[in-house]
Amino acid sequence: MNRLTRRHAIKIGGAGMLGLTLPKLLRAERGAGSIKARAKSVIFLFQWGGPSQIDTFDMKPNAPNTVRSPYQAIDSSVPGVQVCEHLPEMTKRMDRVCLIRSMTHRMNNHAPAGYYAISGHEPPADDQRLRDSLDLYPAYGSVVDHLAPNTNGMPTSVAYPHVIRDGSIVPGQHASFLGKRHDPLFFLEDPNASDFKLPELSLPRNLSVDRLQRRRDVQQLIDRQARLLDFSADARGFDDYYQRAILMLTSDRVRKAFDISSEPDAVRERYGRTTYGQSCLLARRLVEAGVKFVTVYYSNSIGGRKIGEGGWDTHGFDNTRMYKIVDKYQLPMTDQTLPTLLDELDERGLLDETLVVWMGEFGRTPKINKNESRDHWPQCYTALLAGGGVKGGHVYGSSDSQAMYPDEHPVKPDDLAATLFYLMGIDPAAKIIDRHDRRLPIGGRTLYDVIA
Amino acid sequence: MPAGRHCQPTLFRLLSIALLGVGLSEFSIADTVSFRRDVMTVLSKAGCNAGACHGNGSGKGGFKLSLRGQNPEFDYHWLTREADGRRIDRLHPDRSLALLKPLGKVPHQGGARFREGSLEHRILRDWITSGAAGPISEPTLTSLEAVPTSALLLEPEESVQVVVIARFSDGSRRGVTSLATYEVSNLLADVSRDGRVSRRNFGDATVIARYLDRQVPVRVTFVPARPGFVWSDPSENNFIDRFVFAKLQQLRVNPSELSDDHVFVRRAFLDALGVLPTATEAREFCEDTSPDKRERLIEALLQRPEFADHWALKWSDVLRNEEKVLDPKGVEVFHAWIRQSMADGKPLDRFVRELIRAEGSSYENPPTNYWRANRSPTVRGETTARLFLGARLQCAKCHNHPFDRWTQDDYYSWAAVFARVDYEIVENKRKDKLDKNEFNGEQIIQISDGGAVRDPRNGEVVWPKLLGDRQLGPGSYHDRLTPLAVWLTSAENRLFAKSLANFIWYHLLGHGIVEPIDDFRATNPPSHPELLDALADCLVESGFDLRHVVATIMRSRVYQLSAIPNETNEDDDRNFSRAIVHRLPAEKLLDAQTQVLDAPVSFNGYPRGLRAGQLPGIEKVRIRDEPPAPGDRFLRTFGKPERLLACECERSNETTLSQAFMLIGGDVNELLERADNRIARLAASPNTNAEIVNELCWTALSRAPTTEELDGTLRYLDETSPMFETKEQQALARLAAQFNLLPPPDDRRSRLQDVAWALLNSKEFIFRH
Repeated sequence: MNRLTRRHAIKIGGAGMLGLTLPKLLRAERGAGSIKARAKSVIFLFQWGGPSQIDTFDMKPNAPNTVRSPYQAIDSSVPGVQVCEHLPEMTKRMDRVCLIRSMTHRMNNHAPAGYYAISGHEPPADDQRLRDSLDLYPAYGSVVDHLAPNTNGMPTSVAYPHVIRDGSIVPGQHASFLGKRHDPLFFLEDPNASDFKLPELSLPRNLSVDRLQRRRDVQQLIDRQARLLDFSADARGFDDYYQRAILMLTSDRVRKAFDISSEPDAVRERYGRTTYGQSCLLARRLVEAGVKFVTVYYSNSIGGRKIGEGGWDTHGFDNTRMYKIVDKYQLPMTDQTLPTLLDELDERGLLDETLVVWMGEFGRTPKINKNESRDHWPQCYTALLAGGGVKGGHVYGSSDSQAMYPDEHPVKPDDLAATLFYLMGIDPAAKIIDRHDRRLPIGGRTLYDVIA
Repeated sequence: MPAGRHCQPTLFRLLSIALLGVGLSEFSIADTVSFRRDVMTVLSKAGCNAGACHGNGSGKGGFKLSLRGQNPEFDYHWLTREADGRRIDRLHPDRSLALLKPLGKVPHQGGARFREGSLEHRILRDWITSGAAGPISEPTLTSLEAVPTSALLLEPEESVQVVVIARFSDGSRRGVTSLATYEVSNLLADVSRDGRVSRRNFGDATVIARYLDRQVPVRVTFVPARPGFVWSDPSENNFIDRFVFAKLQQLRVNPSELSDDHVFVRRAFLDALGVLPTATEAREFCEDTSPDKRERLIEALLQRPEFADHWALKWSDVLRNEEKVLDPKGVEVFHAWIRQSMADGKPLDRFVRELIRAEGSSYENPPTNYWRANRSPTVRGETTARLFLGARLQCAKCHNHPFDRWTQDDYYSWAAVFARVDYEIVENKRKDKLDKNEFNGEQIIQISDGGAVRDPRNGEVVWPKLLGDRQLGPGSYHDRLTPLAVWLTSAENRLFAKSLANFIWYHLLGHGIVEPIDDFRATNPPSHPELLDALADCLVESGFDLRHVVATIMRSRVYQLSAIPNETNEDDDRNFSRAIVHRLPAEKLLDAQTQVLDAPVSFNGYPRGLRAGQLPGIEKVRIRDEPPAPGDRFLRTFGKPERLLACECERSNETTLSQAFMLIGGDVNELLERADNRIARLAASPNTNAEIVNELCWTALSRAPTTEELDGTLRYLDETSPMFETKEQQALARLAAQFNLLPPPDDRRSRLQDVAWALLNSKEFIFRH
């Protein structure tokens, strides 16, 4: 087991604020940091439930009608790249986008596939009962916080506005074996609510900032009595958290970043007054304020049976029909939010340094099922990347004539993970150490071909 | 690993000298190169078969090897047959990919692994040149020794050469120092490719030397010279002190002073009962002048009902007592049974036998919930080994354990012992239809006539075998659990007694003698082997009496040492030279808060007044998306385990930013403001402020306030003159001014709330010390 000596720990602890702890030292030892960071931040828009590749960004207009989408494929700003007719705004922006049409894995259930998508690591079993435990991999944002934590006073990683689950909570949303201190700042408050604010960033009614400061004075007086802070790095570390928490409670920077109400109405309308729309807007604000990894979960359930709620899981169960739902809910919402986010980042000069990822846990069956809908299909699906150092107007990998299997350049979620880390300037060959002292790689193969 | 450092002439000289001492010569290339013995060694030495390289389950770059060389036949096949045989070119050996890649002559993701002309290169090349023969039956490795087996290096000595000797089935022996591979257990030492261990820092390190399928540990201890060192010769209370102090003296480390009475009384209450002493209890203890007052306190604490609560909590953690699988009723009956067992002083061996032998209704016969929680033979095997034998078997599920003696055969034959546990699911009123982990309703745990474990490698049924021991005979074909229970808990099973003793020690001292506590193996030796043996004896001789062992440990001077370091033990964190400081676990911290404020907190589904330390499970199942109760939210944030892993490691004593947020702006503020809490009562009392501060200090910190504290808090209670010294304070002041925020009404109660908040947020309160 890798352990640091106490003297080391004390020196680091003594160095004060949060940025200078164990991870930095370990990172220094690994000698990482030689990769150029193309993306300062990532916005990961996770499409829970599994959007259909063949009805969005990998249309197969020439496939037989048992496979072909009932929606038309229309031309986009990139010659040869067609997109679904229900994503008209996106067609105008495909020149800024890189599609990976050969995503592939073998997990057929939402929970393991979801875990795979948000951690980049293949689950031990394709079992809906997969439970979140310290044996499984951490979220991307937690790995970033472990290997390249923010030192600008902002949290490294923020995730919201849902915890995703399919029965059990999907693993991979927290820091797992990296330790709770690397958990993303997670909140479930609705950014679309009129009184949206983070409980962490607000003080209770009777506790003014001034009174908090007086409390802190007395606390520091008591802390001087025992010598704990002199000889316990843990105690000192905890005191650093107080200092940081109080700064966050009183600093304008963090508070303002979360103050979505300060956006002009016009901007809020552009994203749409929905939980997801306002979450995308908040993501832009957070990135602007210096958060490194923002995860927005599209929905709290896999959904797919109703217009107006849930995710992309359109099986046609309970006598519902996929094509009576997606063009009235998921697709229009996507066509309102994603182009707006890309435009806004671009207008503010942030797109070049912000990687936007839009993807689900799998695609959907090329063959239309008996409910005139589509079931789970992990063997081949599409991921969309934009900004942050990836090529625009590019398609990487391809699927066969029915979008059933990758035709060339199959890409596993592990490879996408490596690419995300690489773009952020983190060596994808870096190792993290699990509870069994195994040194585990954080990603698979880097896709150099998608990088501009 | 830099290539080609292995054949420095000085090293050979050193090795020759070392080997002369044992009457052996170091390896040289023989007439014929053996695949099994020589090529396999090179694959390990060059790191080819490491887990991060081709030993990975899915190989690397289309080339796959067995992890750390566990399967020579497999590796021979991949080297010679896969990739159309391009890896080996018998006619033009130098064109073999198996040489070009590791020499770095063609692109290799793993880089160059050895140099041209190196021993590794020569062995591989000679093997190919001579026809690349496969693994044949030939003498096998029967033992591996390292010389020295352990070393104590006193400064200025700073390195030691390890010599590794292999013994084969034909009786031959040879030195394999330059062929073996080495790893070191922590960052205190470095080990070279050739087995030279050198100091990075003072302390203990374990070096593991591997050769073929064997490994051997060498414990190396680096001791600073400390020229003026004088052993403080502390008095010994019992055998624990004898063993711990003997090692400290050897390390030239003096233990800390005995803890002060107020520190001891607080620590003893928290460790034995999980609660704080009341102000009266703490005062009485500190004022008592009799010499045996610590002994008497320990005796008295062990008889209190909170002792059973406390140990029921610890066992509930690792026995996976959680609502989703056991359901709320199951959790309650299981917890009640565990608690009663602890209260009755049920011998721990009997406690474990009752778990293992449990059959029947999960409601009527509570220990059956052990099997209800562990629902497949492999999980039952892993859990039982982890909890009661201190063995982590998980690795051996997919490949032989890389750091331990357990093979895949051991894994599946042990799982077969548990193959016949079966469930009759009387009903399942699952609340969340999608959640297949959830069971809600009675189950009957029974031993079925069928049920077998198959080896996934060949599909054959595996015969049950006790871990590291004998196969079960035909007589136990049906009932495998009775012989298991007898064997597992017998006094002769040293691993059982040792792992239990270590479990108890860990919970009192904060660090195992073997650490992590469920990872006993030759390559992770105990820090104090004799002490662990003696504690195991103490446990067995007392009839597996938990209270007896707890009392013995708490009576030792080692347990009672202060946490304040002296100049010799500042760096020590594993030799028990001073008390270990750690954040109070979730339940203790919350219970301590509510005790100080005398304001109980609520948990979902339980009556108010129940302490966090008395909760049977994790959290009662609540309606989806409904927010958790304040108590449950606190426990989760402060690291109460989910109870999914049967591992103490699941509990987190980390400190985090969200914990600081919770202690600043969270539910504690509601507790502080309650109209019927201790603060309100004290504020309304005729007592002077000095009396109240005194009372609060004893209640929260088990001691009287210091003069500085008393003066400071009294000044604060009487008049407010905040001093803005630090940047942080100035920022706050500016902000307060900017928003025109006025202080709250300056009444005594709200000032006392502030003082109480400060006490509850002091490190002395939050940390065990």
